Amino acid sequence: MASTLILLVIGLPWIGALLVWWIGDKRSALQHALAIAFSVASGAAAVVLIFNASASTVISLDAGGVFGQFTFVADGLGVYLAAIATVIGSLAVIFSVNYMHGEKGLGRYYAMVLFFIGGMAGLVLTSNLLLMFLFWEITALCSYALIAFNNDDPKAVAGGIKALIITQLGGIGLLAGALILYSQTGSYDFNQMIANPGLINPQLLAGMAFGCLIAAAAKSAQFPFFTWLPDAMEAPTPISALIHAATMVNAGVYLLARFFPAFEAVPGWKTSVIIVGMVSAFISAIMALFAYDLKRVLAYSTISQLGYMVFAIGCGGIYASQFHLFSHSIFKALLFLSAGAIIHSVGTRDMREMGGLGKKMPFTRVVFIIGALALAGIPILNGFWSKELVLEAGLTNGPVWAYIIMLITAGLTAFYTFRMVWMVFFGKPSEKHVHDAQPAMKVALAPLALGAVVAWLLAGPFASMLQSTLPAHKIHALSTIEIMMEVIKAPATYIALAVVALGLVAWWQRKNLTGIGKAFHWLGYAANNSFGFEAVNKFIVRETQAVAEELRDTQTGLLNWNIAGLLIGLIAVIIILVMGG
Amino acid sequence: MTNIPIIIMLAVLCLVGIGFYALLTTRNLIKVIIALQILVKGGLLALVLAGRIQGQVMVGQSMALTAIVADTIVAVVGLALAVQVRKHHGTIDLKQLTKLKR
Amino acid sequence: MTAYTALIWLLAIPLGSAPIIYLAGRITEKLSPKTGSAPSRWLSVLALAGTFVPLYFAITHFISEGAINLSVNLISLKFDGISMLVAVTALVLGLCVTFFSTKYMQGDEGEEKFFALLPIMIGSIIGLVCATDLFNLWIWFEVMAISSYILVAFYRDQPDAIEAGVKYLVQSAAGSALILLGIALVFAQTGQLNLEQIRLGVVNSEPSPLLLAASVLMLIGFGVKAALVPLHTWLPDAHSQAPSGISAMLSGIVIESGLVALLRTSGALIYSNVTWGYLIMGFGALNLFVGNLMALRQTQVKRLLAYSSVSQVGYILVGIGVSIYSLQPTGAAGGFFHVITHALMKGLAFLAAGALLYALRMSHENHDPLLVSDLDGASKRYPLTAFALSLALLALGGLPPLAGFMSKWQIFVAGFEANAGITIGLVIFAALNSVLSLAYYTPMINRMYRHEPSEQVKAGAAISWKMALPLIVLIIMIVALGLWPALVRWLVNPAAYSLLSIFTSALVR
Repeated sequence: MASTLILLVIGLPWIGALLVWWIGDKRSALQHALAIAFSVASGAAAVVLIFNASASTVISLDAGGVFGQFTFVADGLGVYLAAIATVIGSLAVIFSVNYMHGEKGLGRYYAMVLFFIGGMAGLVLTSNLLLMFLFWEITALCSYALIAFNNDDPKAVAGGIKALIITQLGGIGLLAGALILYSQTGSYDFNQMIANPGLINPQLLAGMAFGCLIAAAAKSAQFPFFTWLPDAMEAPTPISALIHAATMVNAGVYLLARFFPAFEAVPGWKTSVIIVGMVSAFISAIMALFAYDLKRVLAYSTISQLGYMVFAIGCGGIYASQFHLFSHSIFKALLFLSAGAIIHSVGTRDMREMGGLGKKMPFTRVVFIIGALALAGIPILNGFWSKELVLEAGLTNGPVWAYIIMLITAGLTAFYTFRMVWMVFFGKPSEKHVHDAQPAMKVALAPLALGAVVAWLLAGPFASMLQSTLPAHKIHALSTIEIMMEVIKAPATYIALAVVALGLVAWWQRKNLTGIGKAFHWLGYAANNSFGFEAVNKFIVRETQAVAEELRDTQTGLLNWNIAGLLIGLIAVIIILVMGG
Repeated sequence: MTNIPIIIMLAVLCLVGIGFYALLTTRNLIKVIIALQILVKGGLLALVLAGRIQGQVMVGQSMALTAIVADTIVAVVGLALAVQVRKHHGTIDLKQLTKLKR
Repeated sequence: MTAYTALIWLLAIPLGSAPIIYLAGRITEKLSPKTGSAPSRWLSVLALAGTFVPLYFAITHFISEGAINLSVNLISLKFDGISMLVAVTALVLGLCVTFFSTKYMQGDEGEEKFFALLPIMIGSIIGLVCATDLFNLWIWFEVMAISSYILVAFYRDQPDAIEAGVKYLVQSAAGSALILLGIALVFAQTGQLNLEQIRLGVVNSEPSPLLLAASVLMLIGFGVKAALVPLHTWLPDAHSQAPSGISAMLSGIVIESGLVALLRTSGALIYSNVTWGYLIMGFGALNLFVGNLMALRQTQVKRLLAYSSVSQVGYILVGIGVSIYSLQPTGAAGGFFHVITHALMKGLAFLAAGALLYALRMSHENHDPLLVSDLDGASKRYPLTAFALSLALLALGGLPPLAGFMSKWQIFVAGFEANAGITIGLVIFAALNSVLSLAYYTPMINRMYRHEPSEQVKAGAAISWKMALPLIVLIIMIVALGLWPALVRWLVNPAAYSLLSIFTSALVR
């Protein structure tokens, strides 16, 4: 049963991808229909799969030699992330019916989206680290192809290539991890290693742990690799919602959570994870304060919220991080998709040109504000519960300084969220002629809005599923009521709520705080320049290009030099052999 | 008689040295091909010498003869190309033959 | 068919058919100007297809009874794992290229020469990888080299093609003179030509400076053909100026055959596998780095692909070098797997680029190089070709689920299995280079998928099914190997063991 379902979850979107691509762009109505059919079918299979979750390997194919056993496991962590990928994937596809209406290259678009959905499901369902790396790269490939979907726009192309190269660069960490695992245990199956980390010698285990941290930071757009995510916002908005908010960027968090029991004891690893998460959460929240591009604000807030999840893992709060991931996927997909409805209607991403859209777009306003409240951590939306759990984990198991920074970030989050909502929906009305979300968009937005309000009710069943299928993670499951009571009773909650309220008050009183705003003028300058990380990127690219250009002079085209090269090679080899014996 | 191998060995070294020196310095395509020939002749002589040292003169010589055939074909192709170079570039100066670079 | 006849036919069919193809072309051209030399094209395809028959028998014999040894006097041939792998790759790629060229070369002057030389080149590659005595090896090497000189400079009214041909010839011939010297040194020291006999002698004697010198000369001599940096300078010129089918052959299999010759000879001569492993790995790192950086700023499609071959050879060298260093089969298996996948990927890339070159340039009697900027919007008019080129580039960049990912993976596994700092570091370096290579592969793909076609694309001619069919075949193979690498295990593992047997027996002292 579970094996069939896994094959369906991964296979259906891939078959759909081939079909959509095959029937060609001339029959776009059929393409829309097929894409919806296959993604929804895969989503349904993934939801059914949740009820078949177990810790045992359900598919095993012998790929032979160094490729090991291609194994799949439907454990709690895997099935729920697969469900997120496919369900939000199908909602993004439904949304695209309106958003991508009349676009050229629809076949390529849907093929890549469906290929991504299958790849993402594969990434979380496999227990073979080679396969995980393979799917990891497939999602990167799709992300690149979809960011650069509009190839005529140089910014989109540059964003796509940047995203690909940075995530690939980090991917080397995962590659090294997979190779260490195989060379030490003779198998790519990580479950056996997670249950017994002693299989690997401590030094290599440390290499693997930090390799995975690098890979996760690159994939989840964390410090110091986050610069690709804002530039990835050139993608069509449903893609930003699906890949760059709800699914692919979670892969890094998933990786850390998955391997936490194995890496926990590696000296310095947990602290490093905490620092990565904390710095990402904090600086991206500041950058969100100063950005005017609606999608970039959302991108920064994605980095920031992913930072919370990473931070939670560093503090040992696996359940908290995964629960926040679950909440975040829903409310951030909601925010992005409704932002897509706005952008599609207004025709710009600059919030300064929006303003006063609320009256003209009532439906969008309602759902967007639901998402925004969840992001800000206002009770009783899903973001509130999960963020409180994260902060509680930080208070009980993490260092105090990190906890304080994360609290401040929570206040900043509330501040920039309200700034965003205000600029878009309230304030001085813009002159633009706009229309509300179209029917298919509403179909996609409504379930997400509902999810943002009620998904936290699943907290208990979710915890018990993780507990029963992930023995090594030692998750202590409580029922939903117990979790609620715990959150309500915890002092951390009130501290956090106070800080959030402070953020709100600060927004309310922003006119009286202009003095402080002026004092932080330099901060805005630094934030708009991504605190220099962008400059570092540019420097590396420029220098590599320059070196490459200079190296080209060695190809002189003069035959005598070609012969000289031959003799240089000869002499160099002789010297090496004589010196080296 | 014992000196003959040494003399031939020196001759081989000279031929190879001259060949490479010319390949490195001359700018004339025909001379380049002549230099290649000199270089290969060094190799041929070495083969014959090796046959003599090992007392398998026949083997050394037959290898050298076969190599001459192959080498001649290379020279023919090279010269044919040189003719084409002269025809299309109007010169056989290697410095003019540097359109393909970088 | 007995094993010996199979082996003989394997060499005889491609080589023997060449004069027939040539004459047939000349005769039909004289008899009927309308047909021209068309029969020579299809005879060439037929000859290569026919070569699969003896290959099949040779393989079945190899699988059931092991290597085929054939020796007449001083000449000895051996059909072992390495020969099998290279022969299969050369024939598959050769058949695709020949089929592609039936349209690409149609109507070019001297077409019948082209179609006669191509089987000679393929036959000599098979001979080269079967040869196990030094002089025989050199002869096959020369036949391969000479046929490739003529094929590179095939457009003899194109100044650039001639220039490339001259540079290739001179550098390669200088290398082959070094090999001749090396042979003389070995023969002078051991009195043997057979590689296995030489190895026995080496194993039972003290290290000799003459043999050491010989091994260096062979390394450099064959290294010219295998495009080891800094001996690679002929490659970008030759690969970019040759007819596209020949670029595919040169890049896909000729440089790899040079590498096989290098390995066979050095396996017989070296004293220390560790030093030699370091050397090969060092060249691998150099090739990766220089090839990638040189490719980064190229503006001509075929020249860019040529530099990418320099770096791809680097991966093969890394895999094989690790294997020689550690004497474990994984690296060699990865390296040889990469020989196969690189032949497919680079073959596909050059053929697709060639199809575009043909449609955008040559059909207008224009022999200027195809520029990267000409690719703008190519997918609008040439969806299949643009897809093929994109797929080949992504595969070369090592992205899944394509063949290049799997072969690189196997090489990387070897580096970690060897469990030495240097091999692990090298793998990380190679992986970094993989990422760097994406920086020049991906912009080409993005250009092809623009909506606004370039002027050249708008004015381009149609691409015939004869060019499209080989592309489809190669696409299918690349995807199939990417999804299920075990499909070629029967080729890769014997090749790795054959290589290892060469190097391990050199160690038993």
